[in-house]
Amino acid sequence: MALRLLIRAGILLASVAVSSVLVFAFMAVIPGDPARVALGVNASEAAVTQLREEFGLNRPLLEQYLEWIGGLVTFDPGLSYVTRSEIGPLLADRVMVTLWLVGTAMIVALLVALPVGAVMAVRHRQLSGLTLSALSQVGVAIPAFLAGILLIALFAVWLGWLPANGWTAPVVDPVMFVKQLILPATSLALVQSAVLTRYVRSAILEVLREDYLRTARAKGLKPMQALVRHGLRNAAVPVVTVLGLQLSTLLVGAVVIERVFVIPGLGSLLLDSVSQRDLIMVQDVVMVLVVAVLAMNFLVDVLYLIIDPRLRAGAR
Amino acid sequence: MKSRLTSRTLALLAAASLVTASCSAGAPGEGGTGTDQGGSTAGGGSADTEELSIGFGAEPENLDLTTTAGAALPQVLLYNIYETLVKVDQDGTIVPALAKSWTVSEDRRTYTFVLQEGVTFSNGDEFTAEDVKYSIESVRDDWTISLKEPMDIVESVEVVSPTEVTVTLSEPSNSWLYRMTTRIGAMFSPDATEDLATEPVGTGPYELQKWTRGDSISLSRNAEYWGDEPAFETVNFKYFKDPTALNNALLTGTINVIGLLESPETLGQFEGNDKYQVIEGTTNGEVQLSFNNGSEPMQNEQVRQAVRHAIDHQALLDTCWAGRGTLIGSMVPPTDPWYEDLTGLYPYDVDKASALLEESGHADHTFRLRLPTRSYATSCGTVVQSQLEQAGFNVTIDQLEFPAAWLNTVFTNADYDMTIIAHTEPRDMTKVFGDPGYYTRYDSEEFRDLLQRADSGTEQEEVELLKEAARLLSTDAAADWLFVLPNLIVAEAGITGLPQNAVSESFDVTGLGRS
Amino acid sequence: MSAEIPEVLPTGQTGARRRGLRNHSLLIGAALVCLVIVMGLLSFVWTPHNPTLVNPAARLQLPSAEYWFGTDKFGRDVFSQILVGSRTTLFVGIVAVGVAGVIGVPLGIVSAMAPNWFGELVMRCNDLLLAFPALLLAIMFTAVFGSSTLVAMIAIGIATIPNFARLIRSGTLQVLKTEYILAARASGRGPFAIGLRHVLPNVSSLIIVQASVSFAIAVLAEAALSFLGFGTPPPTPSWGRMLQESQEMLWSAPRLALFPGAAIAVAVLGFNLLGDGLRDRFDPKLEDRR
Repeated sequence: MALRLLIRAGILLASVAVSSVLVFAFMAVIPGDPARVALGVNASEAAVTQLREEFGLNRPLLEQYLEWIGGLVTFDPGLSYVTRSEIGPLLADRVMVTLWLVGTAMIVALLVALPVGAVMAVRHRQLSGLTLSALSQVGVAIPAFLAGILLIALFAVWLGWLPANGWTAPVVDPVMFVKQLILPATSLALVQSAVLTRYVRSAILEVLREDYLRTARAKGLKPMQALVRHGLRNAAVPVVTVLGLQLSTLLVGAVVIERVFVIPGLGSLLLDSVSQRDLIMVQDVVMVLVVAVLAMNFLVDVLYLIIDPRLRAGAR
Repeated sequence: MKSRLTSRTLALLAAASLVTASCSAGAPGEGGTGTDQGGSTAGGGSADTEELSIGFGAEPENLDLTTTAGAALPQVLLYNIYETLVKVDQDGTIVPALAKSWTVSEDRRTYTFVLQEGVTFSNGDEFTAEDVKYSIESVRDDWTISLKEPMDIVESVEVVSPTEVTVTLSEPSNSWLYRMTTRIGAMFSPDATEDLATEPVGTGPYELQKWTRGDSISLSRNAEYWGDEPAFETVNFKYFKDPTALNNALLTGTINVIGLLESPETLGQFEGNDKYQVIEGTTNGEVQLSFNNGSEPMQNEQVRQAVRHAIDHQALLDTCWAGRGTLIGSMVPPTDPWYEDLTGLYPYDVDKASALLEESGHADHTFRLRLPTRSYATSCGTVVQSQLEQAGFNVTIDQLEFPAAWLNTVFTNADYDMTIIAHTEPRDMTKVFGDPGYYTRYDSEEFRDLLQRADSGTEQEEVELLKEAARLLSTDAAADWLFVLPNLIVAEAGITGLPQNAVSESFDVTGLGRS
Repeated sequence: MSAEIPEVLPTGQTGARRRGLRNHSLLIGAALVCLVIVMGLLSFVWTPHNPTLVNPAARLQLPSAEYWFGTDKFGRDVFSQILVGSRTTLFVGIVAVGVAGVIGVPLGIVSAMAPNWFGELVMRCNDLLLAFPALLLAIMFTAVFGSSTLVAMIAIGIATIPNFARLIRSGTLQVLKTEYILAARASGRGPFAIGLRHVLPNVSSLIIVQASVSFAIAVLAEAALSFLGFGTPPPTPSWGRMLQESQEMLWSAPRLALFPGAAIAVAVLGFNLLGDGLRDRFDPKLEDRR
């Protein structure tokens, strides 16, 4: 098992390295001169040339790449092209915001999906199960931003229960923080839970067919009891996999939701930086996102080894 | 499980029906409930002048006036943090600010300014004539944005006494003093130029308290301010990329004022509701259908004229900007002294447009209308395309991400036939058409000559010559002017001192109050 | 975007009863998909009005006999736009699924048939690509190549390659174990012939199922991109952009959001249900558990 972990970790590192090259190469070919964009419509040619010099945009690409990676690895990504301020603290701020949002959404989605999915599986032949199934299908079909817009129209503008948008750090005003988190997290979680529910349902259906559960039920346990006592561990394997994979979906969903709810997270930072051609910033944000997804995949692999006794045995 | 299911269904149904109801009814009453609730969450109820939040669309990229262009920057900095020697009032007249008074010499080349006394920068430094000299000279010598060009005319700056300074121009210029009211007239302290991008230091009634990038800029009252103390202790400039989010923020009480509403279709949400006041005035933002005068087929005057005849401006304004805004016939907004109604020069006439296009021999050409991703551009571009096609043009729309892709393709490389862009700087006709290298590629000796004579002539001559220049521009069909963006401000009722017209580059918060 | 379903759902139990129920999915899904296709085809020969003609005189009309779904703020007929918009939706799906399928399927088959180390390598690259979420890739692509539907959808397609490759790989591995492949090998057929003649037909059901699901994802992605301003440029009617344009009218004319919103939901629902139904029909029992 240790060997497996080691191999996995090696793959993780290699993947990070390769993706950093990809990201950098991509940024190098984006049209639009960052120096000109930074200076705006009224910049003189001389000023643009000077700023290009200052940014080091005239140096060989390899040199630029090494400097960028060096900065990232040492957690000192340097100055932004456009804002001329330190990227590090800004990035850290934004990561926290998006983590709150995505984390909350993930937990809410799980809290909804696990029981609903289980009920859908256990009652898969009854009307309630089927209706829930149909609802989850509809949930998957609604764009998350549309859900967000409708939630705002209903709960903020119409009923006035919650703020329509904005973000307050939890340390500044915890009450406001929660109020402002509810709607965006719900919009994200709504669609997510619809997706997850369907996985939970299939996974549990699968388990219900296993012999050991039949045995348990033959011993007089109700389906739900049998499931809870004997089947959850097995059903967890595919669900954990999906959870890991869904993280990337959630992160991207957050890009859109942050725009709808005016939340200064990684997504807004990415969109702003793309339009301002703050390439260093774009590179950094994309890298953070990619590394987050890769790391999550790694974690899933590890969890896998822990949860699934069969796999563990195989590894020995 | 059944209960869960039903409650979910009900919620969905309720959502659907409520949205419909809110919209069909227009519902001022119910809308009000929302505002009440929101107001209390924002916590701005009791203390009237503690805090004011104003919402805007675009956020400045950084706070360095010396290197960064764009409208968002002077909007927050000018008159609020940085002050100028002179500023412009609602009528467009130049009035004293940091200069108590000024005189102009006989040959109109030398300006003598007498400065206010007891003025300090927010870092504690005293403001003297030396700072004026430093500021003007650094604009002329060090600034990198081309907006600073009007300062090139300054020959010398002399410090007469700590409170008196003279500026000598190389030739008389009518526009120089006016330009001193814009960002290039901002007064800096030579000791505080380290971190202009993040820590501006000025003499204004406010100082920077906090900048939360991607969200807001907070200004707090400068305790040492030399002039009248402004009413609000803290003023937040909050930024919303999405116009709907901006409206919702006011509706739910997150902000108190929408500084510039960019979705005029939504005005009905506020109009006729006692809780809000809507101010509609004019700005300096000419929404221009720019032509690439330097390339085929737009080089052909008949083609340009055909385009101008093909556009039904009133219908366009009604459709894409909800009928708000002012029609203009050249690049002069109605607030400038040399404004003249030129909208009749190219009346809407589809037949004439088709005939002109046919004659020009470019009827088969596919025109590239390359739009920046701005709401006015996409919205009006749709109308322009449809109207042009009715006159027989083939038009394709390309959307270019703004600013990056648009700047690169249209502005720098002039790789376009037509584009739509709002030129928001005050008195920008000179800039946009006076330089043949500018993206409009308009190259007219006659026009440049008029500009030059206007600037060095008497004030009377200036007005006459600039009128003539604007007329020439329009007859030449150097571009088509769709309309002037309206100054749409929506605020909670009871907020006073909001400007009717956006005459300057600044959103001046110093005169705001609450009744 | 949010409906990213990276692999075939593990199927439930078997039996006539379930098939009967599941066939409802197939039927409903097929009907909805047909509806979208018919709308698209119909729009080539007939629309009640010119969908892109701006008509200031007919702004914001309520639904009527003249304008079935009313008109938007430009006075354009919403129904005609929805009809023509279905073409954009189909185009979006076909490009994205096409790119993903054309690259992903051969990749999956080859990686299964090739030596083990090569298969592993392909799968690792797959995981790497998976770390670039579709929308992120689309934003980056439009920044480089300019904003157009084609570019965005190629990006979405590329991001979907791993889903195809992984699924087809595991399907191929299963097929390779069957006896008749052994027989084919014994009779001296080359790997290329085996792949084309024997493996491909046997995994085709998997391809169809994955294509259907990916189609739904692409449609949602187009909507999200349009909302962010990276989608289909005007005046080409697109449901995503209609939805985005309707946002400022939400308080006064919610129908403008309702119709494109419903159209998107119908298309996505249709393709998802079709995928589910087909999966059951074929009952592949090929689960990829990594």
